[in-house]
Amino acid sequence: MSAFVYVTYIYATSQKVWDAITKPEFAHRYWMHTNVSDWKPGARWEHQHGDGSGKVLIDGEVLESDPPRRLVMTWTRPDRSKEPSRVAFDIADYSPGLVSLTVTHDRLEADPGMASSIAGGWPKVLSNLKSFLETGRAENIWLTKNKEG
Amino acid sequence: MSELTRESTVYAIYIATTVEKCWEALTSSAFTTRYFFGRSVESDWKEGSPWLLRMPDGRVDVAGQVREAKRPHRLVLTWTVEWMEPKPPECLVTYEIEDTGNGVVRLTMTEDHPTPIPRAWLEGGRKGWPMILSGLKSLLETGKPLGLPTPMPPKEISQ
Repeated sequence: MSAFVYVTYIYATSQKVWDAITKPEFAHRYWMHTNVSDWKPGARWEHQHGDGSGKVLIDGEVLESDPPRRLVMTWTRPDRSKEPSRVAFDIADYSPGLVSLTVTHDRLEADPGMASSIAGGWPKVLSNLKSFLETGRAENIWLTKNKEG
Repeated sequence: MSELTRESTVYAIYIATTVEKCWEALTSSAFTTRYFFGRSVESDWKEGSPWLLRMPDGRVDVAGQVREAKRPHRLVLTWTVEWMEPKPPECLVTYEIEDTGNGVVRLTMTEDHPTPIPRAWLEGGRKGWPMILSGLKSLLETGKPLGLPTPMPPKEISQ
């Protein structure tokens, strides 16, 4: 698989979706992990464990940042054992009060293990993001058994 | 006519609900009219029975047969879009509903094409399923559907 694409529609503003992805206090609530950066093009970003340890699970560089519409970054294993892949978030107003969020994760050819992991992970993260923004509740999903690991 | 393909489309979504409610939402018009572009469904949902997806104006959108029905975990439908001319080959739509525990189910929709179709025809499903299933999730979790506009094919179809 060379690219994974997932689209979801969320009752929220584009700014709220942007904040939910980029602000640790929100990401922590539905992702259990946080994304830390100043989100300027060229900046480093870190996907940190949300347990307070600050452990870096994924990192990379912010390639494009156009708040609250588009964010593109490299997605790199911290041990640099594989070529980085790339993630793009695109947030678009669809109809009044409703936005579409498209996640495109590509450049996965060199890392089949990551391709498999993210194909199971993104539906979970993005389902939870949608629940969090629409209902204020989200965390149950991470307590569940998950055959994708 | 674009390249022919047998590629499948898969969409998984996690919903804070029970497997029974998710099954009911897929098979009952009281739900489908609220999230499935206004469409109603008709069937007794027994294996071998016919099923229909009907547009709000009464025309048949999709018709097929219930290939497998393992309530509340697995429903496999043959799926033929009735209003297209020429009529496209039958595809298969499988819904799998898994209880992941803690009040969350994973619904996985798989659209398979046993007979190759032009690649461009995949677009309808690839655009539509995220809307339909996002709406199903919102409806089950918040009681409110997404209020997406209802796409309707033209009265006179020329292909």
